[in-house]
Amino acid sequence: MKTPFVSSSLGIFPKSWSEEYAGRIPGNIPIWVGILSELTEFGIFFVAYFIAKFYYPDIFSQGSQSLHTSLGVANTVILLTSSYFIAKAMSFIRVNNKIKCERYLWLTFSCGCIYLIIKTWEFNWNTLQGFSANTNEFFTVYYYMTFNHFIHVGWASCAILWVIFRLRRGAYSVQEHSGIEALAVYWHMIDLMWILIFPLVYVLR
Amino acid sequence: MKYFKKLEYYLATLITITLVNTFLGEQLNSTMLVSILIALTVTYKGFIVIDHFMELREANKNLRLLMRLYFVIFPSLIVISAFY
Repeated sequence: MKTPFVSSSLGIFPKSWSEEYAGRIPGNIPIWVGILSELTEFGIFFVAYFIAKFYYPDIFSQGSQSLHTSLGVANTVILLTSSYFIAKAMSFIRVNNKIKCERYLWLTFSCGCIYLIIKTWEFNWNTLQGFSANTNEFFTVYYYMTFNHFIHVGWASCAILWVIFRLRRGAYSVQEHSGIEALAVYWHMIDLMWILIFPLVYVLR
Repeated sequence: MKYFKKLEYYLATLITITLVNTFLGEQLNSTMLVSILIALTVTYKGFIVIDHFMELREANKNLRLLMRLYFVIFPSLIVISAFY
């Protein structure tokens, strides 16, 4: 089913950028401003990672071997699964199945919570091993990236609760579900950032 | 129904790639080979999420281009970093 254009151009961009020419904007324009800002922020972290790795290759090679890789793998699987769950929630609101949509939103929220628990456990494990943000350049970059990502998962999980509350209040329907879609694209962005962070800090030597 | 099956297929693919990648990263000694392999799979995983989970394939082409570009630039830096 083709969803009608919910948001229109702000009128400050070239005509070729408009939804009519370039295609529908999933969610709404404000969420994409947020997403592109977040991508820039994480992009700066990634550039910092590569610059630091250039100057301290040995520290970075040893650093990734000091981490609990299994916990990183578990969190990757959980975030990928959460992306699947929220995509399912989207597909169910499109056929007006609000019960299943809510069920999948709860599953996504559960994945977010499990991710946060595992990450907290990992941070604690690192501390017990004697690692902190001040240990060396690798751990400084590791904590900047992963803790920042941790915060994003935290507030996006809170946003899921808000969307569930709005769904129960009847705010979304087959015709108007841009709120759920905005949350979904934001959640996928968080998953995408982890897809990049995971190999950088856990796998690459 | 086809759409539902597609999502499950992509999830299984993404998880399998992650597990195989990690295993190879642990086992292989060649940093160059591992870096290239990881860069390619990160790009592929990114494209799957962007096109099929985010649904940008049938949506705004500029946003899709920006997102896909992100998953070309940073994996390229992974390959470059293997030469350090």
